Amino acid sequence: MRGVFLATGVFAALVFQAGAQTTNQPANELIEKLLTRIDGLEKRVAELEKENATARLSPAPAAPAEPILPAIAPARVSPVEAAHMSHDQAPTIESGPLSSPLLHIAGFADFDFSATDLHGPNGGFQPLTLLSPHSGFSEGQFVLQLSSALSSKVSVFSELTLTARADAGTGSPAAPGFNAEVERLIIRYDWNDYFKVSFGRFHTPINYWNTAYHHGTWLQTTIDRPEMTQFGGSFIPVHFIGTQVEGAVPAGGLNLNYNVGLGNGRGEVLSRGGDLGDINNNRAWLVNLFVRPDILYGLQIGGSVYRDKLNPLTGLPAREWIESANLVWARESPEFIAEFANVTHQPIDGGITSNSQAFYAQVAYRLPAYLRLWKPYYRFEYIHVPFSDTLFHGLVPSFDGSTAGVRYDITSFAAFKVEYRHYIRRDLSSINGAFLQTDFTF
Amino acid sequence: MATFHIRWLRRIALVGLLCLVAFPKSVATGGADIAIVVRPDAPVENLTFPELRRLMLGEKQYWTSSLRVTLLVRAPGSREREVVLRSVYEMSEAQFRQYWIAKVFRAEASSGPRIVYSNEMAADVAASTPGAVAFVDASQIPKGLKVLKINGLLPGQKGYPLH
Repeated sequence: MRGVFLATGVFAALVFQAGAQTTNQPANELIEKLLTRIDGLEKRVAELEKENATARLSPAPAAPAEPILPAIAPARVSPVEAAHMSHDQAPTIESGPLSSPLLHIAGFADFDFSATDLHGPNGGFQPLTLLSPHSGFSEGQFVLQLSSALSSKVSVFSELTLTARADAGTGSPAAPGFNAEVERLIIRYDWNDYFKVSFGRFHTPINYWNTAYHHGTWLQTTIDRPEMTQFGGSFIPVHFIGTQVEGAVPAGGLNLNYNVGLGNGRGEVLSRGGDLGDINNNRAWLVNLFVRPDILYGLQIGGSVYRDKLNPLTGLPAREWIESANLVWARESPEFIAEFANVTHQPIDGGITSNSQAFYAQVAYRLPAYLRLWKPYYRFEYIHVPFSDTLFHGLVPSFDGSTAGVRYDITSFAAFKVEYRHYIRRDLSSINGAFLQTDFTF
Repeated sequence: MATFHIRWLRRIALVGLLCLVAFPKSVATGGADIAIVVRPDAPVENLTFPELRRLMLGEKQYWTSSLRVTLLVRAPGSREREVVLRSVYEMSEAQFRQYWIAKVFRAEASSGPRIVYSNEMAADVAASTPGAVAFVDASQIPKGLKVLKINGLLPGQKGYPLH
């Protein structure tokens, strides 16, 4: 019965509408004219499109085995997507002469919250580990990446940071403030894929993490770096000032990559590179090799050797050898990173040769389907400094620790991370802490 | 007996419906092969699939010492891009973006791929840029560009990997 009433109502409405249309004759004529004109324009557009397609397109050279469907229409891109796409549309290399180089700027930043049960000194951990006796918010690092192609073969890269520090402000004693640092400044000359020469300030390529993520916390899965490669830390020399030769050769599908470097080595403060020159007129050198086999897409296996002579502010001069190795599965389901490094210190004037070791293993997994924005992770890390290593003792913490957390990608360019850490220190009490971070690129 | 069959038919229909919901992309990816095109003067005729992957990952940046590779990739939303990300990169859209941001940040590349918004634009840029490599629908291969073989196969041939 309801259906009958509905049908009657619709019919009545249509009749009324039709009557209204017949009574408005001038308007109908105008509509007719407009429709005729639209038809004409549509025909003209179709003719133009047909001419354009005929001029541009030709049949495929090979007859396809199956019928080919027409291509989909060009994508409609929203302003937000267009802004996002500009990230993978950095300035392209001009083939002709440039009036001035194009500068590409990108940024990274993070903002953190930490709460730990640490009481007293942190025993050698750096401020960027967020291990502090006081809970609260902190600004991590504000990072600017600048790059420019000076020609098709010459490029310049730089990475600048602003880092909150307790002693970077003005006054006496110094107030908290921001410390500016040129983290990397590189000019590179490409001969081809096999041979590239660069000069500048690098992140030392004797460690996967150090050259994979740099200061972009958003790029790494976890909130913080492993302690063995921590910024401001001393276990491995994080920065290297000098020159590098690098390249990659196919090597029968192994894809062998190499870096050979010659530079100033560590400064008088072991965590710093020799920015103002070589302190001992003795260059450090390094060789780094790694393979990325074709048959296991995502796998990287590498190792490196580093050699330097140290003249520290406190401590005796010593020769330093670093041997390191890494194994990486650089996919997200799962992601696996493991690194090991051994640092040998041999006092020049005689004395006990000591070996300090560090390693970490990190596993993460990007959840599938509708949970793909979530990425839980776990890392175990370990550093052992023997009492005989007078250069590292008191400077590098001896500990083993676990980090468990989860990363949530809010957008393609920003993430939230929550993690819990449990560190067992050799000479001091254990530390438990909860950490939150939001990091992003812009 | 008839009730038994109807019950099973319902179950099969339900599973099919769930598959459609769970794997919408696999249903929607039918279409022509994706051809790789370069200028006729590019010193390459055939690439193995690993070579193609190295090219797309920005690990191979030079055809020769004097000819740099310029990658042209369609904007998000196009089938060409979807096929390349799925078949070659094996990455999601977000992973692809992060990959190139990291690559440039590591100073391993001075820029990411150039974005093109249509097959016509891809053809125009590929034709005018020495060393450019573009991906176009095999049914719309532009005149004046060379189609590369992948593992010795052209688009449309059985076993061609980009579809």
